[in-house]
Amino acid sequence: MASIKLYFAVYVALLILAVTKVIFIEFFEYWTAVGAILVSAFTKSALIAYYFQHLREEPRAISWLVLISLAAVLLLAAAATYSIT
Amino acid sequence: MAEHSFPPRSSVKRWLVTTNHKDIGILYIVSSLFFFIFGGILALLIRTQLWTSGEFILSGSAFGQAVTAHGLVMVFFFLSPFAFGFANYIVPLQIGADDLAFPRLNALSYWLYFFAGMVFIVSFLQGGTIEAGWTLYAPLNLPAFMPSPGATTAILALLMFVGSVTASTINFIVTIHTHKADGLSLWHLPMFTWSILLTVWMMLIAFAALAAALLILGADHIFGAQYFTATEGGGLLWAHLFWFFGHPEVYIVFFPALGVMLETYQTFTGRRLIGRKWVILAMILVTLQSFLVWMHHMFLTTINLEIKTLMMAMTIGISLPFDLIVFAMIYTLLKGRIRYTTPFLFNFGALLLFILGGITGVFLGAIVLDYEFRGTYWVVAHFHYVMFAGGTALIGGLYYWWPKITGKMYNEFLGKLHFGIYFIGFNLLYFSMFLSWEMPRRVFTYHTGLETYNQMATIGGIILGASFLIMFYNLYTSYLSGPDAPDNPWEYSRTAEWATSSPPPLENFEGVPTYRNGFLEFEDRNAVADGGHVEHGHEPGRHPDHASWWPVTISFAGFLMLIGLAGLGEHFAYELLFIGGAAFVLLSAIGWGLEDFYAPEPLRGAKWPFDGVHKNKFGMWVFLASDIVIFGAFIGAYVFIRWGYGWEAWQNVPAESLPGLVNTFVLLTSSFTVILALVYAQRGNRRGVIAGLLATIGFAFTFMLIKSWEWNFLLPEAETLPEAVTMLVTLDFDVLFHTEGPAIDASIMHSTYYVTTGLHAIHVLIGVVALGYLAWRAWAHNAYIDGNERPVENVGLYWHFVDIAWVFLFPLFYII
Repeated sequence: MASIKLYFAVYVALLILAVTKVIFIEFFEYWTAVGAILVSAFTKSALIAYYFQHLREEPRAISWLVLISLAAVLLLAAAATYSIT
Repeated sequence: MAEHSFPPRSSVKRWLVTTNHKDIGILYIVSSLFFFIFGGILALLIRTQLWTSGEFILSGSAFGQAVTAHGLVMVFFFLSPFAFGFANYIVPLQIGADDLAFPRLNALSYWLYFFAGMVFIVSFLQGGTIEAGWTLYAPLNLPAFMPSPGATTAILALLMFVGSVTASTINFIVTIHTHKADGLSLWHLPMFTWSILLTVWMMLIAFAALAAALLILGADHIFGAQYFTATEGGGLLWAHLFWFFGHPEVYIVFFPALGVMLETYQTFTGRRLIGRKWVILAMILVTLQSFLVWMHHMFLTTINLEIKTLMMAMTIGISLPFDLIVFAMIYTLLKGRIRYTTPFLFNFGALLLFILGGITGVFLGAIVLDYEFRGTYWVVAHFHYVMFAGGTALIGGLYYWWPKITGKMYNEFLGKLHFGIYFIGFNLLYFSMFLSWEMPRRVFTYHTGLETYNQMATIGGIILGASFLIMFYNLYTSYLSGPDAPDNPWEYSRTAEWATSSPPPLENFEGVPTYRNGFLEFEDRNAVADGGHVEHGHEPGRHPDHASWWPVTISFAGFLMLIGLAGLGEHFAYELLFIGGAAFVLLSAIGWGLEDFYAPEPLRGAKWPFDGVHKNKFGMWVFLASDIVIFGAFIGAYVFIRWGYGWEAWQNVPAESLPGLVNTFVLLTSSFTVILALVYAQRGNRRGVIAGLLATIGFAFTFMLIKSWEWNFLLPEAETLPEAVTMLVTLDFDVLFHTEGPAIDASIMHSTYYVTTGLHAIHVLIGVVALGYLAWRAWAHNAYIDGNERPVENVGLYWHFVDIAWVFLFPLFYII
């Protein structure tokens, strides 16, 4: 279990990443901003899962459990959207 | 309730309160057979209607309802629950466990299933049930075509059923991975348990997608959302969500039957399954591939040719591992010495039927042929040859495990007679449908030239139905006065359920099963003085509980709530029922939380690859995996609709991003405070725990307050807080959704915004209840500072997930 200092550092990083989303859309070209915002969102999620949900301390199989669900639903969204492209 | 005060099986109370896996298994089997009869009567109604092409006993609408209800009842309320009756009874015995990991949750699964069935039956009494076919295609599934509350009730019944399935999925995944006997690795699991393990992994993903589809459909019905009426691909969206669930569902239904076939072939040929490891690998491959072929059900839609071609290739791919499995079964039969008992005959018949079902399915997987066959009786025949082949194997399973479950032998002659008549009836019924393949399905009349085939099918249906009279008579007389069954009535059975008495004792085995030396042995439960129980996970002097009133109570409360929800706006009585039911659910959930129910986890045992993860935490992670799919499907639906609309032409509903950004800060901060509560729990700091939890609750309320303001439905109308509360508790939907704020049905943009953020808000409120419970326990009972901080950690896992969901909702609905 990590120290409060580490948790606080992660928390601050999360706040900064939240602000970046608004900044990206203001200053970048639209699709570049969309890409950057998605990268920021996935980074935030990874930080929360890795530190706050302690995935880094769990057996790797728990991470696979999460990733399999994520992959399945990304597949659904991407393939369905592609099907009407 | 400890063992000594556990009511006997002759007591009605026993069946209402039991959490024991064997009792629950019996409840599932009996209830599913009830639904089988119900669905069977509907089928006979359909066949009677189709005896001639011109004389009708049912109206067009009644025929549509009968067809739809027959499909839904058989697929959801008979086949899978029948299989999970055996899974409940047999899997813990096969892996050497005392019970499932979460016995109370198991009872809840059953009662949710039972009352979901009751909700579905009620839907017939509310102006007619749903009549869109079992696939519930849009836009036929919408209120515009089915305005009666019965259609909404049927949708909510399915949603309740999905709740049952989710609870069951979590339970079986955790149980099979962490409650295996010492030395029993995954490779050495019996084939039936393997089939259930892969089934529940498929269920985890597939039923979450169905949950999302049904939640959205429910929002369309109850709140007037516009998802599936959207011209930007609403109908296609339903097809994608449904078939992403629906194709794996075929294997979810068939795999347990396959497990029964593999078990019985080994037992009645005296041969170990040939190519056993390859069969397991093939089943794992099918599990993965089942999620890669769903669009072959959509060849007649406007999806592009490239994806259709890819799906056709993937469909050919999924038949390959099945070929391996079928050949392994045939080879095992050829190399063994077959004993033609009733269970074997049914399972051998199932193989023949499945081969025919599989071959005729290949036609449907080819785009060009599918253009001709789609929507005809070819599909109906193929579907029944596959799904009811599974049913055939499961009926064989009932004969196979009947002696174990009841301690009585059935009459072998009557069993074989049942099989003979069943098999003739089955093929007369369904093969006639292949012959009348030009006939469109789900239509109450047909071309007169097809009358002969239809009459053959109807006669077959009557023969098939009548064969079950023999089965019920046989099992009834066996139970009352049949000869006692030995522990192992089958000479070459090889799995652990046959190594205990028939029926087994409450905790399954007299000793503790172990495979430490490579074969099944039993250790004395009390061999280690003062330590025997501790080593096997029991606290000294404490026995596991086997009874609770809360599962049946919560499910009954849910039954009332959903009936009320379906009729909101129809009559005041429905609103009363909904509010009363919701309060009843909340109170009984609190009662559940307060109950001291003891279900220990075995300390020893084969748990790879989840070693060291406590079962509660593992269960929470499995639940979250399911929730990822639900939220992901909601977000996917949004992306799909927006893409169809024109991505950049889309206008976000919130006028500004600032409230969303503030809420992002609020939720992130709440994630930090809940982790502080955990840190303080580990440090034994009671005040820190309470402060952390209360702060998290405070941030949750702040989030909801901003959300309420933003939704702009409540605050402009309510000048004082009491007024606002009154509007909420009286469910004034005109105010909630149709006043100054933009209405949910104003556009597809508004629908997606309200429904998706609404789902998130419900998650927040559930989190508040859980956090409130923790805070109260920490304050009143000094809980979580004595080294058991797990509840804080597990609720924290949930809360962080709620935060993660918002991490994606914020940019999608506010910024881009």
